[in-house]
Amino acid sequence: MTLLAPILIVTTAAGLLCLLLRSGRAMALVNVLAFTVALGLTLRLLPAVLQPPGVVTECKEFFRADALSAWMVLLISVVSLGSALYAGRYFRRDLEDKAVTPGRVKEFYVLTPLFSAGMFLVVLANNLGVMWFALEATALSSVLLVAMYSRKTSLEAAWKYVMLGSMGLALALFGTVFTYAAAISQDSGAHLPSFNWSHLMILAGQLDPHMIKLAFVFVLIGYGTKAGLAPMHTWLPDAHSEAPSPTSAMLSGVSLKVALYALLRFHILTTASLGTDFSQTLLLVFGLASMVLAAPFILVQTNLKRLLAYSSLEHVGLICAGIGLNSPITVFGALLHMGYHALTKPVLFFAAGNIHQACHTLQMRRIGPGLLKVLPLTALCMALAGAAAVGLPPFGLFFSELTVLSGGFAAGHSVISVILLAAILASFCGILYQLTRILPGTPKVAREASARRLDGVSTMALMLGVLLVFSIWLPAPLLDVMHQAAGIIGGAP
Amino acid sequence: MNPVQPELASQLITLLAAAMLVIQLLMVVQRMLLTNIRLFALQSLMLAGIATIIGFSHHNAGHLYAVAGLTLAGKVFFLPWLLNRQVRRIEIEQEINPLLNASASMLLCGGFTLLGYIVARPFTSLARLGNNTLAVAVTLLLTGFFLMINRRKAVSQVLALLTVENGVMLAAVALTTYGMPLVVELGIFFDLMVAVMVLGLLVYRIRETFSSMDVTELSQLKG
Repeated sequence: MTLLAPILIVTTAAGLLCLLLRSGRAMALVNVLAFTVALGLTLRLLPAVLQPPGVVTECKEFFRADALSAWMVLLISVVSLGSALYAGRYFRRDLEDKAVTPGRVKEFYVLTPLFSAGMFLVVLANNLGVMWFALEATALSSVLLVAMYSRKTSLEAAWKYVMLGSMGLALALFGTVFTYAAAISQDSGAHLPSFNWSHLMILAGQLDPHMIKLAFVFVLIGYGTKAGLAPMHTWLPDAHSEAPSPTSAMLSGVSLKVALYALLRFHILTTASLGTDFSQTLLLVFGLASMVLAAPFILVQTNLKRLLAYSSLEHVGLICAGIGLNSPITVFGALLHMGYHALTKPVLFFAAGNIHQACHTLQMRRIGPGLLKVLPLTALCMALAGAAAVGLPPFGLFFSELTVLSGGFAAGHSVISVILLAAILASFCGILYQLTRILPGTPKVAREASARRLDGVSTMALMLGVLLVFSIWLPAPLLDVMHQAAGIIGGAP
Repeated sequence: MNPVQPELASQLITLLAAAMLVIQLLMVVQRMLLTNIRLFALQSLMLAGIATIIGFSHHNAGHLYAVAGLTLAGKVFFLPWLLNRQVRRIEIEQEINPLLNASASMLLCGGFTLLGYIVARPFTSLARLGNNTLAVAVTLLLTGFFLMINRRKAVSQVLALLTVENGVMLAAVALTTYGMPLVVELGIFFDLMVAVMVLGLLVYRIRETFSSMDVTELSQLKG
């Protein structure tokens, strides 16, 4: 049966349906339903990619899903569903506080499914050009979400996001064109060669090495900007902190990783064409730079959501470095890290959203101390998710970080692994220090206890529960998918 | 259908590509916003011309007529009209106020052109359509980025982005002869239209909130 096209159709249709609806509740319901259906389809897709030959194609190979795509599809649908579940109450509170107009809320419910559909298309498209324009579509659908509150700062964040993003994507398109040109010089020009990734992989050995090198550099800078790799990350903390919390969760939880996925497709192609050295070294350098750069900003940060954004930068850096180390263990660890991070970071952003609405500020100096007394359940979720994000056991990020590090040491990259460890420790200290400043203690300002303390907690608890279960016990099919995906990145066909 | 000699086609394409470069340099020194928009339309017209010539002179390049048509409809007529309307509606002042003055910008862009030719040199054997097209494409990319940095007005930054896009499209044609598959060209075209509308909306909101379009005022977020 067809699985790939329906995922896209359902989410796109949900976005368009919301255009016709008036009531906020109905739109929220449509969003939740669409993402539930998408998640259901994804769960059918996982066993399908495990069957040999390990690839599902549809519509004359226009859509193609292997284990890596299936893994990404799973992350996208889980995070989208989580943020749709959280969004309903969040915007009801915003509307009560007159922080947004109903028109803007409608914008959110229309654009969010389109944003997700764009991300689904990125990971399901076989054609590299289609992948590019799908990524551009995700940028365009999310920029209005970032600008939603129309504060001066959110407009600034949106402008930076869209300008840097578009510049990056223009470079990525240049790189994509170069890759295509490298394929053409082989495929005699009599007819248009296919631009499909699977087709290019077959040709990989014959591609012009200079072209492929140049192409990868362009693509790295281009998609790296969208993935928030340092030093092209400057839009990231702005956009993540100014967007409404459900959007921040999606930007940080999956959008960064989807851009990284696009980069990975080129990495796999470059590795197949040039051997392992070239692209993996570049990925390693950018990954390390992101991690090292994130740590000091975490230590001195004053704004809660910016703190979380810099933590995302660090995690993306770790994923990128894990893939750059390119041993089977580190790549597996990086994929595992993607999954656990996608479950953890949204919880933190949701908690930050609750805090923002209760305290009307994100400045940590004015929020804390004593948040555990003001918003006990939200603060508890934040503490747990914070502990997970810095990599404390029993949460999964501990295991994935350990996997990457041990893989790095085992592969003989001791210096790099020590740098990784130092960066992880620095942000560990930073985030714990910052959270201890706001969570415990006695509140300085008397804040009214409102009836809203329970809002959004169920979503956060659900995601934390899933995280905890999967930290301790990973179902065999999921493990198989990840192993297969790691094999694809590591050079298996 | 091969009525045009390949040499003639190649020369025409080189000529049009050079015209694109000249127009780009004119945009660098031109201070009036509306003139800039017209120059962009003219540059896109050259691009459409190149696509038409290739479609005319090569076999199996029929889909390039579609590309030319899209470029003509979208970038020569629709987008300039849209930007024009926006500039008039929000009644911004015409002067662009670049950060660097005209002569310094011109000198810098001369350097970019040189750089473009150096970068493109190893690939001239691959550039199938005249030796200059790829170099021009790289130069358009570089000067486009420079324009974006050098401009303060939001609308003129959007224009800079569009010229970068023109550069990428020229590179696509120069390197591959046939451009990209139609589905990709359609997707890129569609994205571009949406991008300009989204950016327009954003510019409008910035204008409403800041009562100016000077993006140097967007500087509160730090650290």
